Amino acid sequence: MTLADRAHAMLREALDLYRDSPRATNWLRHHVDRLAEPLRVAVAGQPEAGKSTLVNSLVGEEIAPLSVEGGRQILTWYRGGMNPRAQVYPVQAPPRDVPAARMGGRLHIDLEGWRSDQLDRVIVDWPARTLRGLTLIDTPGIDSSEVGSRISLDADAVLYLMRQPHSTDVGFLQSLQDHPIAREAPVNSIVVLSRADEVGGGRIDALTSAKQLARRYRTDVGLTGLCQNAIAVSGLLAHAGRTLTEEEMVSLGVLAQAPRRQLETAMVSADRFVGDGVPLRLDSRVRLALLERFGMFGIRLVTTLIRQGFTTVDALSAELVTRSGLAELRESIRQCFTDRHDVLKARSALLALEVVLRMEPRPAARRLVSALEALVVSAHDFRELRLLAALHGGRTTLPDPLADEARRLVGGVGTALPARLGFEREASGHELHDAVSDALRRWQEQAENHALGTGQRRAARVVVRSCEGMVAQLTRI
Amino acid sequence: MGEHGTLVRVRTQPWLSVLDDTIAACITHHRTDLAGRLETRRSLLLEPKLRVPVIGELNQGKSQLVNALVNANVCAVGDDVTTITPTTVTHSQKPVAALVADVPTSGRRAIGPSNEPTRIPVPVDEVARRALVSTPDVHAEVGLPRELLAAGLVLIDTPALNSTGALRTASTFAALATADAVLMITDATGELCASELDLLKEVTSLCPVVTVVLTKIDIVPRWRKVAERNRARLAAAGLRVKVVPVSASVRLAAAQTGDKQLNEESGFGDLVRTLSQDVLKNGDAIARGATAVLAAQATKELIGPLTTALTEARTGEQGRAQTLYRAAQHRLDELRRRTTRWQTMLSDEVADLISDVEYDLRDRTRKIIRSADEFFDSADPAKTWDDFGEWLREALADTAEVNFAWLVERFQWVAEKIARQVALEEAIPEDVAAEGMLDHVGGLEPPRIEKFTIGQQVFVGLRGSYGGLLMFGLATTIAGMPLINPISLSAGAAFGAKSIWDERSGRLKRRQALAKQTAQRHVDDFFLSYGKASKDTARQVQRKLRDHFQAVVERLQSGIAEQATVAKRAAEAELAERRRRSQEIAAEVDRLAVLHKRIQALVAPAAPRELTA
Ligand SMILES: Nc1nc2c(ncn2[C@@H]2O[C@H](COP(=O)(O)OP(=O)(O)OP(=O)(O)O)[C@@H](O)[C@H]2O)c(=O)[nH]1
Ligand SMILES: Nc1nc2c(ncn2[C@@H]2O[C@H](COP(=O)(O)OP(=O)(O)OP(=O)(O)O)[C@@H](O)[C@H]2O)c(=O)[nH]1
Ligand SMILES: [Mg+2]
Ligand SMILES: [Mg+2]
Repeated sequence: MTLADRAHAMLREALDLYRDSPRATNWLRHHVDRLAEPLRVAVAGQPEAGKSTLVNSLVGEEIAPLSVEGGRQILTWYRGGMNPRAQVYPVQAPPRDVPAARMGGRLHIDLEGWRSDQLDRVIVDWPARTLRGLTLIDTPGIDSSEVGSRISLDADAVLYLMRQPHSTDVGFLQSLQDHPIAREAPVNSIVVLSRADEVGGGRIDALTSAKQLARRYRTDVGLTGLCQNAIAVSGLLAHAGRTLTEEEMVSLGVLAQAPRRQLETAMVSADRFVGDGVPLRLDSRVRLALLERFGMFGIRLVTTLIRQGFTTVDALSAELVTRSGLAELRESIRQCFTDRHDVLKARSALLALEVVLRMEPRPAARRLVSALEALVVSAHDFRELRLLAALHGGRTTLPDPLADEARRLVGGVGTALPARLGFEREASGHELHDAVSDALRRWQEQAENHALGTGQRRAARVVVRSCEGMVAQLTRI
Repeated sequence: MGEHGTLVRVRTQPWLSVLDDTIAACITHHRTDLAGRLETRRSLLLEPKLRVPVIGELNQGKSQLVNALVNANVCAVGDDVTTITPTTVTHSQKPVAALVADVPTSGRRAIGPSNEPTRIPVPVDEVARRALVSTPDVHAEVGLPRELLAAGLVLIDTPALNSTGALRTASTFAALATADAVLMITDATGELCASELDLLKEVTSLCPVVTVVLTKIDIVPRWRKVAERNRARLAAAGLRVKVVPVSASVRLAAAQTGDKQLNEESGFGDLVRTLSQDVLKNGDAIARGATAVLAAQATKELIGPLTTALTEARTGEQGRAQTLYRAAQHRLDELRRRTTRWQTMLSDEVADLISDVEYDLRDRTRKIIRSADEFFDSADPAKTWDDFGEWLREALADTAEVNFAWLVERFQWVAEKIARQVALEEAIPEDVAAEGMLDHVGGLEPPRIEKFTIGQQVFVGLRGSYGGLLMFGLATTIAGMPLINPISLSAGAAFGAKSIWDERSGRLKRRQALAKQTAQRHVDDFFLSYGKASKDTARQVQRKLRDHFQAVVERLQSGIAEQATVAKRAAEAELAERRRRSQEIAAEVDRLAVLHKRIQALVAPAAPRELTA
């Protein structure tokens, strides 16, 4: 029985127990359904952190943000679907469809007449590969704690965007763990050091610098245990890269061919770049459009890249997706979220179950309460998550080659067997079997190694358990 | 800039006198801590220098802005958390730099050579790097020959606020506490966020001259919109703060090439103009503003406890003396009320007592007469008279003794009752009861008159209670009373001796009747004389008791009355003291209120002068 199956069974049991409470029944049913739905990932962060831009760059089209008159943004779910469709969920009325269409890689939607306080959320169905098995939630900037609790309620996992560690951000990440079960199954969030191209004021090495910063955040004491990973991403560049057009390529080519000195003076400031005083053979409106698409740093980077030989749309696009950090982010989303889809889903379900048991306690539910506690503490998937978080945050340290291997074996770089066993290519069942037997033997030794501390041996036992799981999986095949 | 940049502050400035008066008030109210703070600030205000901290959240470009303003890389610039300790940039003839270890400020205004900060000179082009790796209790000081600085400007680069490592903000707030003006840095890549607005609100309340500098406009195409939105946000928050958009990178690039046009584009031309207009040429207003903020804070702190004291003095609990006075008066009234009662009580009780005692006496004597009659019904007096005389004497003496004991007992009871009536809670002082009474104990001589004696036992039980003690004291009075004459019943007096014997037996009856008569007369005599004596004694005791209790009451009354007078005097003194104190506090509050008005007038000089008086 997988963790998700067990969570499902427990929800069912609770449904039976609470059949006389309409509120609990409603809630539990909703969560039973939710278990079968795609993973929900909320994109959160302070205002202007770049959330909507990042959603666009992940989807590869211009679908965010949705805003109503007055510019206020609406909480929007982007769900995979065959055809574009949008449903508004008013605060006090049943959901209804609003006109929505896809034109030139953009979402066009009619929200006229709606006020932000009337709308709970909008759900957009959108045909995009990214959204297969993953629902993205674009949230309005968290200036209020309300959005925070909303996110922890709605989402299975969180991409948290921040430009620099601000006390508000840490407060928000902590609030995500403000739940007994959330603490036991700690990490379901990735911190995105967003708008990475602006680090260093848009210096040409901004992205490199941003990557270093992100690396430091991974072990930053303030963020310890609050996120699974920290990745620097420039949503703007990523989006521009993914949606780069031939036309833009031509204009950028013109810029790249301009004499270096002329280009440099033109790029001293955004004002100069779009102003009339520069001797660039490009219409100022075109320059403004390019600037808005790429940003100052982006223009500098792209012209340099073109001069280095990335002269086709495909080549430049791919380079931008990589450099922007988007590729790395997608990989991390796969490792931390989609690969652990079942665990995260089960986690949400157990969280929801705990809420019912806490809000409406009754003697008959006592057995379920202890079963829930036992499951959360003993479930091996949660143990793996806890170990990963501990290794990540430096709460548990292992001597050098061991740390990396432990991380890998418990699924830190992917939960598929080859990833866990360190194969970067397809491997035969035989090879896998040898590798896992070897690992199991060595880690069993570590689990008994008295040169290690108790915490370290406990970590080793979790690794052993992961290896045993893999052996079982292999023999089943 | 030359002459006009030197700030001349004349000693008679109104802000200075307000500040000095505030300091004096702080000292008057024993708030040397406040006074110390104000004095420190006073000396800073008198210096011809204007301290301008450059504050803001992480990575907004604070350090780069200072560098760009003075065209030198004196502050460390970086992509991560960079500035951990303040850097002060002032004017000097030659470029100089030093790392200065801050003096711990725990001691109170101690001045001495040991407290001189240690100062390590460092090369100017290395100060940024060295500050980066120093400890937070060390700050950097840089001197540069710059026109802007020569005019008195002191720029202070500070560690970021609202970032995750909160430890370093202390030095930023310290810089804010002595700021003449503040530059709040926010970059144009985003609008002012909630925490920045909160910070601005706090800062403007501490320091009236605040300018928001919008940096990094070189990388933000839509910076004009951001500036506009920021202005709107500031206005909505009720903050009258200028927003100056700049680009430090453009300024530095312009400086490298000496490009005037580019320099103007960087926005630093505007910023320098703003600084010289709002800060440098505004020294007096700044001093006024700073004084107003500081002095208002201080007076508020002084007035707070005073108003509490005042309300307490006016409406607070009664003083102790007042309470005591009330209690004494109450006791005096109570005593008076009781006094009128005990006298009637005494006479009533004694009247009852006398009639009871008389009744008892009559009852007893009657029984004796009956026995005598029965005796002489058969006995021949001629033969039995002597024996009879003996018996009668004994019977009467017994009667007198029992009856008298009862009288004493009753008086004891009465005395106790009166004592209870007179006595207040604290009872009659021990000495009132004991005084002059125990003296008689030794010399107590019960009357011995013939067979009749007041038995010792009558007095034995008298010592335990107050009433007993009292009666014991009266023992002499009682003992000295003339009780009864000896019964002189000589046979000869009653019957002619010889003749009797010669009478015929027929005469026996007459003899018996005569004996009966004689016995009865004798008993009646006894009844009369003893009864009178007993009554007299009772009256006498009554008088003595009355006098005694009168004295006791008088003494009590005068004691309590004296207490009351003392308490009254104390209460009056207390009241006067309270009145004096509350007047004093009120006057103090008024004085401070006047000072407060003068303080407020500093920042609103348009107000008519009369109001400040
Ligand atoms: N240079 C740069 N600008 C970005 C990037 N991402 C977003 N921006 C800009 O930042 C601003 C805000 O971007 P959004 O994506 O709307 O940010 P958001 O977090 O959704 O903002 P709210 O929903 O208003 O809280 C826009 O002007 C974007 O162009 C980025 O990666 N690089
Ligand atoms: N493009 C551009 N970049 C700037 C500007 N001002 C600062 N920067 C860059 O922004 C980053 C942060 O600058 P700092 O001056 O170190 O910022 P700070 O506010 O002092 O940062 P902390 O001391 O860490 O709080 C650096 O990489 C600077 O190069 C500017 O006007 N334009
Ligand atoms: Mg948005
Ligand atoms: Mg700095």
